[in-house]
Amino acid sequence: MNRRKFLTILGSAGVASSLGTTLTATKAEAGAHVFPNYDESYGVLHDTTRCIGCRRCEEGCNKANDLPKPDKPFSDLSVTSQRRRTSADAWTVVNKYVVDGKPVFRKLQCFHCNDPACASACFAKCFSKLPNGVVTYEGSQCVGCRYCMIACPFYVPGFEYDEALDPLVQKCTFCEHRLVEGKLPGCVEACPMDALTFGRRSDLIRIARARINENPGKYVNYIYGEEDAGGTAWMVLAPAKDGKGSPLPQNPIDAGHTLEQMDLNTHLGNRPMGELTYGALGAVPMIVAFWPVLFGGAYAITKRREAMAKQAQDAVVKEAHEDVVAAVDAAVRKLEETEGPGAAERARRAMTEALKAREAEAAHAKHGEDS
Amino acid sequence: MRNGTKLLMLAVMALACTACLMASGANAASLGPTDSGAQAAQVMFPVSNQPNPTAAGMKPVVFNHLIHEKAVEDCTTCHHTGDPQSCTTCHTVEGSGNGNFVTLERAMHATNIAKRAENTPQSCVSCHEQQFARRECAGCHSIVKAERGNDWCAVCHNVSPTPKQMQDGCAGKMSAEENLKLAEATIAAHQPAQPISPMSGPLKLRIGALADKYQPNLFTHRRHVASLWDAIKDDKLAQAFHSKPETLCAACHHRSPLSATPPKCGSCHSTTLDPANPQRPTLKAAYHLQCMGCHEGMKVERPRKTDCATCHKPAQ
Amino acid sequence: MSQHSIVIPTKDKLFNLDPLTKPTIGNIITWIILAVGLVVTVMRFGLGIGAVANLDDNWPWGLWIGFDLLCGVCLAAGGYFTTVACYVMGMKHFHSAVRPAVTTAFLGYAFVVVALLYDLGHPWRLPYMFFFPGTTSVLFEVGLCVATYVTVLFIEFSVAPMEWLSGKFPWLLKYRKIVIRATILLTIFGVTLSTLHQSSLGSLYLIAPEKLHPLWYSPFMPMFFFVSSMAAGASMVIFEGMFAHKGVHNYMDETHLREADGVVLSFAKAASFILFAYFMIKLIDMLVQANIPYLFTGYGAWWLVEMLGFILLPALLYAKGSRDGNVTLCRIASVNAVAGIVLNRFNVSMIAFNYQLPPSDGYFPSIGEICISVFVVTLIVTAYRFIVYHMPVLYEHPDFKGEEH
Repeated sequence: MNRRKFLTILGSAGVASSLGTTLTATKAEAGAHVFPNYDESYGVLHDTTRCIGCRRCEEGCNKANDLPKPDKPFSDLSVTSQRRRTSADAWTVVNKYVVDGKPVFRKLQCFHCNDPACASACFAKCFSKLPNGVVTYEGSQCVGCRYCMIACPFYVPGFEYDEALDPLVQKCTFCEHRLVEGKLPGCVEACPMDALTFGRRSDLIRIARARINENPGKYVNYIYGEEDAGGTAWMVLAPAKDGKGSPLPQNPIDAGHTLEQMDLNTHLGNRPMGELTYGALGAVPMIVAFWPVLFGGAYAITKRREAMAKQAQDAVVKEAHEDVVAAVDAAVRKLEETEGPGAAERARRAMTEALKAREAEAAHAKHGEDS
Repeated sequence: MRNGTKLLMLAVMALACTACLMASGANAASLGPTDSGAQAAQVMFPVSNQPNPTAAGMKPVVFNHLIHEKAVEDCTTCHHTGDPQSCTTCHTVEGSGNGNFVTLERAMHATNIAKRAENTPQSCVSCHEQQFARRECAGCHSIVKAERGNDWCAVCHNVSPTPKQMQDGCAGKMSAEENLKLAEATIAAHQPAQPISPMSGPLKLRIGALADKYQPNLFTHRRHVASLWDAIKDDKLAQAFHSKPETLCAACHHRSPLSATPPKCGSCHSTTLDPANPQRPTLKAAYHLQCMGCHEGMKVERPRKTDCATCHKPAQ
Repeated sequence: MSQHSIVIPTKDKLFNLDPLTKPTIGNIITWIILAVGLVVTVMRFGLGIGAVANLDDNWPWGLWIGFDLLCGVCLAAGGYFTTVACYVMGMKHFHSAVRPAVTTAFLGYAFVVVALLYDLGHPWRLPYMFFFPGTTSVLFEVGLCVATYVTVLFIEFSVAPMEWLSGKFPWLLKYRKIVIRATILLTIFGVTLSTLHQSSLGSLYLIAPEKLHPLWYSPFMPMFFFVSSMAAGASMVIFEGMFAHKGVHNYMDETHLREADGVVLSFAKAASFILFAYFMIKLIDMLVQANIPYLFTGYGAWWLVEMLGFILLPALLYAKGSRDGNVTLCRIASVNAVAGIVLNRFNVSMIAFNYQLPPSDGYFPSIGEICISVFVVTLIVTAYRFIVYHMPVLYEHPDFKGEEH
């Protein structure tokens, strides 16, 4: 059990707050909805104008992470022209894209978002964004629901579908095990062209801007990942549409044309993907609080209406009953005057019996209807 | 109508020049006649309506009309309005209404010129920069950027007029003959730099500092320099701007003072990432970026970038 | 019909398994499906998800989520819809419809959880969400609400088995009384939880605007899912009633039969209103999001098919049916409405999902996936039949007749 998991367990047990003074990490985790945006996190700048599609990064990744050997060797460069994606066995792949007729290579891997959609989507807290920039995955608590794969806007996480007992989600780990040893990620170390530049994210943005400015006409004026999906630790520089082209500083909007051809989605917006769900999640407490009041009120109104109806009905019945009794009484009295007390007594008895019989019948009918 | 005016003007000028040449042929003989009939060379002064413009501290420029008119398609490349008049007629130091208040400095140096529907004007610098795309230039100029220091300015700003001439020139009062004389004198005084011969460099180099998975590379230094030199040896633009004997060396041996014995690549490029300079390529990448960048610029199809063994054999 | 009388099947004996074991055509088909389902189940848990499903990295969720979870939960909405109508709104003439609705809702939810176990990589870790609560996740909300609501439904439903078993275990009567007293509390708790997780199923897709086609993606998806679940609830009561009248007519008492047509017509009216409202909010959302240009694409045509043929049409059929007192038409409308809800869930989860991927990366469920889904539906039907054959669901138990609850 690592420290992070330990903290999570503490947190769920509700004792983390009392330890907050000693364990500063809990502070950052306390805000449930917003991940801290680590300025000084590490990142990698991928300059696609330098990439030659040699697949050394794929090989480096495979070695550094002890991944299974691929069917085709890494020296087979023809696979780059297929449309490949990252999977459980290949955490990074290089694809060739034809941009305005010219081939451009781009490396695909986890972008290590500043505020990752996968972490926001995971309901068992498997993913964490660490201060050093890494988005980690803790397989030991993964339920295997794969919502992270739905949520990832970059189609990165892969799943071990053929694993029966312990299938896990797999993705680039930023070679965290190498970072802590002071080594570069496997792919970055393997790149013979420095198409991958490792550094602090803020430095990388400065470097990227400098390259765009110093080489007018070489790059599109856009750093993919600087703002996209709330910002990512891995960023991409793309070649300008016309290599020799105009020395004019290009409008970032023009970059979309190039980036789309490289399968980089420019419609993700500049806010973390997870925020799209926060409105819906924020309504939960409101519904929990308000619905019982609403439906309780409706129930009370219904009950009150039933009671009122019953009261009105009883009053009418009572009145009718009294009317009948008074009429009978008057008739019997008249009878007594004309026919004598004996006849009146007989009539009274007969009337009472008849009324009782009717009441009993009515009560029976009413009961039948209600049940 | 404009074309008519232009043709008429050209005809008039041609006539005038022919007359002038016939009168005193010796005067212009030093540069030879121009096709357009324009003055073969001229000094461009910072013309201003103020008596002592700020730009007067700068040396004026000598413009060799003869060389330039051979390098462009037609007059409108530079005379973008269609009128073959002097640049400073409209573009003065302060800018004037005739020139849409585009100052002389912008008209000569601007590189970020907004595109027009047709016939986007060029400045000296923007037109020269476009020449970088030519195959023989693109190799070096796609991997290094020409340093815009004093040497770069002095390539054009190289006229030394007398104070009187300067004053007349700035006021736009200098006579055409005097201007031509000054220009020709400046051109005659200019000695183009003689580049270092490829023979003075090493014949072959063993690049082996990184040999690991691959054997060292045997770099044919002399062949590479010679082919670069061959491609541009008759190029006037290159001759003018490669103003020092070692300029050509700086394509590869960049970012250090010009020298016939430049430092090794490994002096700056370390084999591992330098945390203090994360933007600086590591040694391996520096070699690859430099070699492949130049090959790509010069459209050298072979070897392909991923044919590693062509340049260095795999280690046994 | 007034002469219709039923024999209480478990009056003297505890079990009444004959109708399930008789070799009728229906039973034989059921056995075959269950047998195949068991084989696929063994394959799924023995060899992994990949052995039976067409799911891949681009399609982490397929038929099991799109049908078993999304449709299962939505079509089990009859539970909260009927209980609210009867107990909260005081429509007492729906009383005989409550118990069948609660039964099917409970079965629906219980088997949603069962089906989910097939889809999860680590089914036994499902409770981990309580130990490592991912409070930023919509799925956490869904899980929490479904888990709680299954419990609520179980308690609501438990009255029926308690009445069944009370002859043998009289101490159950005490608990039955407590549950009956708590009916209104459970109903309100149930509708709150239903509102939350029905809408949250729509919220699940809010995080993937780049994957879901703009005609289906909307910030109001939670609302769409909730409103359509109400229509689904009403429609499912009619839909299930139709089959129940065919299959288990003998187990319905006089009251149930007398009220059945009234229930159909009233629910048809309600469903008509809700479907009209659902149609309008979908239409206005499309206009507000300026999605008209998409209507002229293939997906646009498909969206119009869903909107006109599976939302507006059933709404009109329901309106006509309830106005004319035409029960048959209402039943046809319910089939149409249920198909429309299923279609909508399929569109969101599969057809309009990943719309930007090339056709070669498409998804179509494998035989194995379909087998499991059919297996689960068959399990629900079988469980429903078992319950109806044993417990007072479609009739009132004579021992408890006339008790208000």
